[in-house]
Amino acid sequence: MDLTDKKTKVIIFCLLTLLGVVLFAYGIFFHFTNISPQQPDDPAVRTASELALIKEVSIGGVTRDTSGELRQTYTGKPPQACPT
Amino acid sequence: MVKKTKLNNLARQTVGGLAAKLLGWRTWIQAAFLLVWLDPMSLRLHNVCGPVFHCYACPLATFACPIGVIAQFGAIHIFPFAAVGFLVVLGALFGSLICGWVCPFGLLQDLAANVPTAKFSLPKWTGYLRYVVLIGTVLAIPYFFGESHPLFICRVCPAGALEKAVPDMAQQAIAGQQIVWPNALKLTILVLFLIAIFFVKRPWCRLLCPLGAIFLLFNRISAFFIRFNVDKCTNCLQCHKFCKYNIEPEKSPNDLRCIRCLECTRCAFDALTFGSIFERRQ
Repeated sequence: MDLTDKKTKVIIFCLLTLLGVVLFAYGIFFHFTNISPQQPDDPAVRTASELALIKEVSIGGVTRDTSGELRQTYTGKPPQACPT
Repeated sequence: MVKKTKLNNLARQTVGGLAAKLLGWRTWIQAAFLLVWLDPMSLRLHNVCGPVFHCYACPLATFACPIGVIAQFGAIHIFPFAAVGFLVVLGALFGSLICGWVCPFGLLQDLAANVPTAKFSLPKWTGYLRYVVLIGTVLAIPYFFGESHPLFICRVCPAGALEKAVPDMAQQAIAGQQIVWPNALKLTILVLFLIAIFFVKRPWCRLLCPLGAIFLLFNRISAFFIRFNVDKCTNCLQCHKFCKYNIEPEKSPNDLRCIRCLECTRCAFDALTFGSIFERRQ
């Protein structure tokens, strides 16, 4: 495949852009995750979009516990910054 | 026909000509983008990834760091569709142009490189270390060991150390509180980085940057690229002097090590020009 050929470049660009847009759109509009509250006895599981999850991971607000569930690491006010 | 040719010429001049005009303003353009990343309006849009290496723990960060997000998502075993999609679109469009013109960490290194000290060149193979960092500390370690592993990218990242840990330590010192030191590895990497930026051109970008490693993969196929016209080349090798990264632009204009500072497009004979697939060429 000749990567200097313009036609090839245009095709690759279109395919990559399509792939990127599909991934991005899926992440934003269709990808949801259930997050359990910090207290195991609290039944209130909430569903978070990927955008909300990005915000949560940026402050270390979510972890996957030993049972494989996503669990909030705080109750009430979120931490200011990530623990790292 | 004449009109069409004129339009084609205009389109060609637009991208290449614009790049040539902006070349002298690169530092100012990087500085202007720095303002965008430093969140002057306190927007704190941390649910959206930015396109650059800028720690979201920093109180002055508009967007989330895409590398941090990918690593943190890996730690909780969720695929970061939005972050990956965003990087693929940006990479397909610009390749490493983002490293050269937009990244604040690149700007810091560019400014430090202006200090007149002896500059050392790096062997070619060192560029592959970025992929070790990407695969190891951003993908594998978070996925298999979680975010508590000492080699998790955010725990060793010099951007995080410089933008968050150091200001925090300064604040604690000023307030007379006990100083919370970052871990020894992070501190060592930060110190080495701060020394290296004065003696090597863009050491982080060329050696270890995982985001650069992603964008560089797109260099040969991105919509914007550096074009080499063999007919115009006089073999004067001036481009070798323009390139600060030991690349031979006439042999590999879209090299995987190129950060697209576009200095090589200063070629007096227009053998190297900035172009795009959007231009109409006959």
